[in-house]
Amino acid sequence: MTQADAPDTPHRRPLSRIVLPYAMLSPAVLVTLAIVFFPMVQTVWMSLHDYVLFRPNDFNFVGLKNFRAALNDEVFWISLRHTIIWMAATIPAQLLLGLVTALLLNQQFPWRPVARALVIIPWALPSVVIALMWVWIYDSNYGIANELLLRVGLIQRAIPWLANPDTALAAIILTLTWQGFPFFAVMILAGLQSIPGSYYEAASIDGASAWRQFWHITLPGISGVIVTAVLLRTIWVANSFDVIFVMTGGGPGYATHTLPLYAFIKARTNLDFGYGSAIATLFTLMLMVIVLLYLRRTAKAVQ
Amino acid sequence: MTFKKTLGFASVLALTAGLAHADSTVRFWYHFDNADNPMDELVAAFEEANPGIKIEAENIPWNSYYDQLYTAIIGGSAPDAAMVKMFAQPRLVEMGALEPIGERIDAWEGKDGLQDNLLELTRAADGQAYYLPVQYVVLYLYYRPDMFEELGLSVPQTCDEFRDVARALTRDTNGDGQINVYGFGFRGAGGGHDHWGSFTLGREGVSLTEGLTSEAGIAGTQFVADLFREDGVFPPSTPNDGFQEIIGTFKAGRTAMTIHHIGSANGMVEALGDNVSATVVPECGGGRWTAFGDESTAILSSAEDKDAAWKWISFLSSEGNNALFNEATGQLPVVKADTESWSLHPQRFVQATVDSLPFAELLPNVPETSDFVNTVWATAMQRVLIGDITAEQMNTQISDLFAN
Repeated sequence: MTQADAPDTPHRRPLSRIVLPYAMLSPAVLVTLAIVFFPMVQTVWMSLHDYVLFRPNDFNFVGLKNFRAALNDEVFWISLRHTIIWMAATIPAQLLLGLVTALLLNQQFPWRPVARALVIIPWALPSVVIALMWVWIYDSNYGIANELLLRVGLIQRAIPWLANPDTALAAIILTLTWQGFPFFAVMILAGLQSIPGSYYEAASIDGASAWRQFWHITLPGISGVIVTAVLLRTIWVANSFDVIFVMTGGGPGYATHTLPLYAFIKARTNLDFGYGSAIATLFTLMLMVIVLLYLRRTAKAVQ
Repeated sequence: MTFKKTLGFASVLALTAGLAHADSTVRFWYHFDNADNPMDELVAAFEEANPGIKIEAENIPWNSYYDQLYTAIIGGSAPDAAMVKMFAQPRLVEMGALEPIGERIDAWEGKDGLQDNLLELTRAADGQAYYLPVQYVVLYLYYRPDMFEELGLSVPQTCDEFRDVARALTRDTNGDGQINVYGFGFRGAGGGHDHWGSFTLGREGVSLTEGLTSEAGIAGTQFVADLFREDGVFPPSTPNDGFQEIIGTFKAGRTAMTIHHIGSANGMVEALGDNVSATVVPECGGGRWTAFGDESTAILSSAEDKDAAWKWISFLSSEGNNALFNEATGQLPVVKADTESWSLHPQRFVQATVDSLPFAELLPNVPETSDFVNTVWATAMQRVLIGDITAEQMNTQISDLFAN
């Protein structure tokens, strides 16, 4: 290859061409820096200080004191345990329910568009409305859950689902599963519809059973969608605390405390922004693994 | 020409001054549960009497009222005046968010018309006056006279009697084998410290800041725990029950007694007619304790026009206006003249309030009280109710909070 055939190298470009992309990107980058990175850095900065909001003048640097305090805090570990249970139960439950729903909705049957629209409803409702609705369902005096279970004879006396530490977290997990499964259903349904019908026809001709078709055609066809949806949802579920806050406020006792909720209570209710920020920072570090996996995946998709 | 110019200039100046005057706006935050409240009526009456001042009154939901107020103060968007309770005063003072109004109160013609002692009760620890009282209540014991009569019970005067009648009142009234009436509706979620206080803080030598870890102090918390865990006289949902639940279950006949104030009396009468009455909270361990529920107004130090803000808050605590204000909240007026003509509540509830006044107390006027009210009490009480910690551990936790 001669020198003349070589493609233009950047140093040969005029300066304006080199600067132009950066100039055009800079507003977006600046906005992102201002609204995403600045608050993040500020949170980390606050976590290194004794910062109680009603003592605005005592903003003292304390290094890692808040982090040490968090790691020695019984409630931090209780909240972490609940966060792990909460994520480990909610996401697979949502995935499974979403998968079954998507497979059903992918079949031909009358009123299918209506069924698809109905399935979306829980996802479309605001979290606070859902939380209040389920508080009423679980109510031990008037709730429909107890009424139904009593009538079919499954329980002998009304259970205070949200006031009993043994059932409160499970009751909230059920609520969030109900709220979140349509997301998986819609994502997986879109994935299902991208699988060419000819694959199934060919498999049928070869005599593959429905299960083998599912295992060898459907699952590989939607695996990409499932992985993305699980990663996305994991981050969302991990950070979601509005439903818990409305339903139990973290109680009874610490029975439904999760880490984001604990950080919120510390910062917003106790006004201890230093400690709240430390908890939030610790939790973000823990979530970083999932975030990195997600970023790697999106980077690959972009390429 | 020069004269004309001068006249024109003077007119513009006068007009500008007039406009500036008319632009004086007082942003006021308040919290009424009742959406159908007379605030618009009060604002209209005030603006008519004070043409230069505009009032922007905003009803903030109670459950996040203080969270919003504190963050608005820090964020630099605090209102000019706000409705405030005593437990929040130390924090607001510490934040430098309140304007001292002692001199304004002293010069105010309405001062002598206020109920005795209210200005003393609401004075800050530094001796300054930041609050102007606007309404008050005292907590008492609601009970169902018909249920007491049916079982031949007397209204309890002591904790021991309370326990006995609560046990008797807890029963299955429709024969389906399920308990459907509970003796007492206890508020286990936020705000229930008043219930716990009546069983604990009246005991000899016990207060939030002293003697809470003594035998008498622990006995109070243990008494509450036993009522729930041993005797089962509170509904099973108790650990999560807040205001709506305790009032709702009482109105529905699911509980026979509960503790609240005159603010809920009219709703109770609407639901139950004559089958509801009130008396003082029981004497426990040698004394009685009930909560004095205060509500005042204050001027924020960041207010642009403090004179206008003062005119507005003093208007709310003036004769006639104060009565109208309290019609919506269902609490009691702070103006003597308005109290004398008060006919908005059945006499038995006003009487129970007056009878409770001698032993009614405010929570300690220290910054820790906010934490106690907002998080520490409810979490610790719930943990005791579900058997997570002991009564002693709960009292120690509260004691430690106030000792710091």
